[in-house]
This record gives sequence, structure tokens and C-alpha cells, in this order.
Amino acid sequence: MLSVPLGWFIAVSSALFFIGAAGVLVRRNAVVILMCVELMLNAANLALVAFSRRLSDATPRGSVFVIFTFVIAAAEVAVGLAIVLAAYRNQPTVEVDEIHELKG
Amino acid sequence: MDFIAPLIFVILAAIVVAGGLAVVLLPRITGSALSMGLSFLGMAGLFALLGAETIAFFQVLIYVGAITVLILYGVMLTRVAPAGADRRLFFQKQAGWALVPLTFVGVVATVFALSFQSNVVQQPGGDLEPLANAVFRDYAFPFEVASVLLLAAMIGAIALVKRGDD
Amino acid sequence: MSPPGVLVPGPFGIDPLVWVVLRLLIAVLLVVGLIFNGALLQILMERKLQAWAQDRVGPYHVGPWGLLQTFADALKLIGKEDVRSRFTDAAFFLTAPAITFTPMVAAWVVIPFAPGVQGIDINIGLLYLSSLGAMGVLGIVIAGWASNNKYSLIGGLRSAGQLISYEVPQILSLVTVVLLAGSLQLTKIATAQPGLQLNLFILPAAFLTYFIAALAETNRTPFDLPEAESELVAGYLTEYSGMRWGTFLALTEYGNVTIVSSIMTTLWLGGWNGPLVDQAPILGVLWFTLKVYVIIVAFMWIRLTLPRFRIDQLMNFCWKVLIPLTLTNLFVTATLKVALPAPWDLIAIGILNWGLVAAFIVLIPRLQRRRLERLRERLRTERERTLAPTA
Repeated sequence: MLSVPLGWFIAVSSALFFIGAAGVLVRRNAVVILMCVELMLNAANLALVAFSRRLSDATPRGSVFVIFTFVIAAAEVAVGLAIVLAAYRNQPTVEVDEIHELKG
Repeated sequence: MDFIAPLIFVILAAIVVAGGLAVVLLPRITGSALSMGLSFLGMAGLFALLGAETIAFFQVLIYVGAITVLILYGVMLTRVAPAGADRRLFFQKQAGWALVPLTFVGVVATVFALSFQSNVVQQPGGDLEPLANAVFRDYAFPFEVASVLLLAAMIGAIALVKRGDD
Repeated sequence: MSPPGVLVPGPFGIDPLVWVVLRLLIAVLLVVGLIFNGALLQILMERKLQAWAQDRVGPYHVGPWGLLQTFADALKLIGKEDVRSRFTDAAFFLTAPAITFTPMVAAWVVIPFAPGVQGIDINIGLLYLSSLGAMGVLGIVIAGWASNNKYSLIGGLRSAGQLISYEVPQILSLVTVVLLAGSLQLTKIATAQPGLQLNLFILPAAFLTYFIAALAETNRTPFDLPEAESELVAGYLTEYSGMRWGTFLALTEYGNVTIVSSIMTTLWLGGWNGPLVDQAPILGVLWFTLKVYVIIVAFMWIRLTLPRFRIDQLMNFCWKVLIPLTLTNLFVTATLKVALPAPWDLIAIGILNWGLVAAFIVLIPRLQRRRLERLRERLRTERERTLAPTA
């Protein structure tokens, strides 16, 4: 029996999630926005695993979902960075305010 | 001796949250990238504390080992101002407007979360066997679909950055 | 996994809190002893081996038979002036050697030296070692970037690309052995090879691919492009001088070589097994160390024999040769293990693996030769076309 209440883990998860969300809204560099999205995904993973360990079923469904989240996060970072690099090749900037032309 | 687990939790949670704050607040991109890596490490520690050690080491392998390196590649290949700091850090107006409702929601969520007082139960024997049984028996089809998704993402990323004259 | 926070009393009835501090002290002493002295011994061994192969004597001035040579080298490195460019990023430049060193030290915790002589016997030992190998890439990227030197940056990114690429065949080979042993726990894998039924005889293709991938992962020749002195002015190591360079090159690299050799010993050579181990378990340390050093000598032998790969040859080899080979091996092993009853499955897997090794040894040079001939043909026709008068 772990002597840390479940709520503490969820508090950390929600704190990290909102920090990440604030980062996505405030920062202008596309790569930093990607990093904040990763933070949000991590926060969701922590909540999933914490609740899964609390329910302590035979099949740890939360942990299984976390494995799929890992896969999707990795794929998303790869494609996101590819998009950023392709846009950078067009116009040498990574600020999301200045990448607003579709043609070119 | 019952204070060691909460103590370890507080240290790890501090690392995670401080890393997250550093990602958002640091002016230098490489500093943000590395504090993101540190936050991931702290998160792996939290997973291990919960008893999900397989997930913890997957986190280190995937997030710290691969995603942080990928983001560092992205940072280094898109250097606009090579001398380091950005000119302006935040939009002054929009930052305020964005953060107030978020902070409100965040506080409400944390208070709600802290009302969970039940402790986490740990099964003996670690979590490798139940996890492996679940992934490869009950959820084998989503597992295969996930590998197809990775293949599609790889091909898509390569196609996006290929130069047209190759 | 036992829950954290449980204090166990030490041996001879020492008080739990004293035992915690004492354990930390013993761990630090073990790190200094095993890792540092191991690196010193291996550097000397390498120089002596190279000297023997090149028909000369090697270092013999300092100490009897040159045994204290590396101590002298270490003292020289520590005493060197710390030359640092003003434009390097101080925080990252100084911490990059530490970021590369720490996962290597952390990996020693799970190495099984003998039954009972092991730091922690976690049930996901191999996963732990793989994730630590993945973490080591980060320090190299940071070192390359923090040196504020475009050659270092390219060297660092190339080295990171090499390390990440060769992680895939490495982990796939490990998974093949885990399929047979049925557990990720290192002691279980070591004890699943009783007597002479070594995994080396059943899974030689996995051993071969892991050996090659480990050569690439530890930046040893023929994959030592990142740290070669004639390439990119020593790549990501250019701006490091004195003991910072010593940490990167000597300690981390030889530590990694020892870890990788320990993994190979545990998985394929039967770990601590050997004559008289059942009676005296402490003898396992002797057998384990002997096997590890046999593999390390093999690493050094390859170093003084083969020339270096170019970066594109390296990447081609990984993605087009090693990964299909390891995937085929894994697929075939899994199919045979499920289809056939014991012991026929082991025999069938062994036959197919030796077949894969033979195919690797025979087919690869043949393919390369055919590709070289085709390239020569093409160059010859192009030259004739440009030299001949246009008609």
C-alpha cells in the first residue's frame, strides 16, 4: 500500500497539463509549442497510470492505453517536426505568427 | 519510516513541475528542450513510484532517449538567431488573457483532484506480466494498428522533408 | 518490487539507517574501483595488444611491464589546462560529459556477477539496460551543440544518428534471446543456459548482430567515425581538453564496452556458469570476468584489424542489412518456438541461425562485389561517353 494518496498524483498531472496548455498559447516558437504538447501528453499518461493502479484490476487497462499514447506521441513529434522543417525551408523562420501563407 | 514514499514523491513532483515551468518560461530554446527531458525523467520516477516500472522504463527509452533527441535535432536545424535569446519573450496582452482562465480552471481541477484520498494499491510481482498479457492478448489488434501508424508517420515525415529535386 | 521506504537492517545486525549510508559508501567505492580501474586496465590492454600486433613492445617505462602507464596518463589528463572557448555554452558544455557518464554508471547496478552478487535483480533488467543506452545519446548531442563549433555540431548529430540507428538491431537481438529464455530478468536468462547449452550455439546470428550493433553503439572501430582524429577534427570531442575528454573517451567508452560485453556474456555465454560454481558461488565472479574480458579482447582485436566505415556506409549497413537480418531472425525464432515442441524447437532454431550466419558471411561480400562491379561498369561507360567525340 503506497502511502501517497491518489489525489497528489492527479494534482501533479493537472498542474503539468495546464502548464503545457499555457505554454502552447503563449509561446511563439513552433518547436517549443511541440514541446508543450508533449508535456500535456505526459500529464495525461500520469493520470492514466495513477487511476489504473488505483483500480488494480487484473488487466491494467490504463497502462495499456499509456503504451499506445507513447506510440502516438512519438509519431506526432516526428510528423510535427517534419512540418516545421518543411515550413522553415520555405521561409527561414519558426515563429508561428509569421508562417501564415499557404502558397510559396 | 512512513515518510519516505511521500518525500520521494514530493521531490519527483517538484522536478516534473519545475521542468514543465522551465519549458514555458525559459527564453532559450535549448534550455527548454533539456528541461523537458528532465521533466520526462521525473515523470519516469513517478511511474516507478506507482509500481508501473515497465511503463517507467518505456518512458525513459521513448521520451528521454528518442523524443528529446528529436526535438533537439529540430531545435538545432532551425536556428534563426544564432546568438541565443529571443527578442521579445511574451505577448504582454495575450499572455494575461490566456493565463487567467487557465489558472482558474487549473486551481479548480487541483482542488477536485486533491479530494481523492484513497491510497494506491500495489500488486506484488511488478506490472510486466499483466501488461504483456493485456497487450498481446486482449489488445493485440490495436497493437498491430499502432505499428501501422508508426510506419505511416515515418513515411509521411520522410516525404515531407524530402527535397523535390532528389 | 518492494515498496519504497522500507528500511532493512544490514548484515551483522547493523542499524538500518547506518546501513543506508554504508551502502552508499560501498557503492561509491565500487564505482571508483570497478569502473575507473577497469577503464585503466582496458586502456593498457588495448595499447599492449596493438603493440603486439604491430610487432613492437608498447608502453614499458612506467611501472613493471608498463602497468602504471595509465595511472600516469590519468594524472597528466587531470593536471592539464582546461582550455575552453569563451563562446561555448557553459552550462551545457560542462554537464555534457556527466550526462553521458551517468547512464553508464547506472547500468552496473543490474549486472549479474555471480548468484547473489548483484546490485538489484529487477524483473525487467534488459529493458533497464536498453533505456540507459538510449539516454546516453542525449549527452553526445548536447556536447556537439555546446561546443559552438560547426564541425562539433555535425559530428554530434552524426554520432547521435549512428547511435539511434544501431539501437534497433541491438534491441531486436536482445528480444530474440528473451523469446527463448522467457524472461527479461538477467539472472533467469543466465541460469536458463545450463552447462554447455549456451545461447551462443542456439542463437549465433543474434550474437553476431548484437556484436556488430554493440560495436556501433560504443563507437568502436570500425564504427568510430565520431571520434576519429582524422574525421571532422575529432567531431563532438574537439573542444574538450584534459579530464573532460578523459571522461568522455576513456571512462565512458570503456565503461560502455564493459557493460555491453557483460550483456553478451550473460545472454549468450551463460553468465557466471563454469566449473565448480555450484560448490563455491563466489567463483562465478571469476568466470564472469574471464568471459567478459574474452569479448573485450575480441573488440580490441577488431579495432586493430578493420578500417573505418564512412557515415553513409554505416547507415546503409544498419538499415539495409542488419535490421532485415534481425527481423528475419526474430520472426523465424518466434515461429519455430511456437510451432515445434521442445527440444526440437531449439534444434531447428539453431540450424536456421547458423544458416543465417553462413548467409551473412558468404552473401554480403558477394553482393558488395557485384555492386562494385556494376559501379565500375557504369563509370567506365560514362567516361567513354564523355571522352568519345559526339556523334
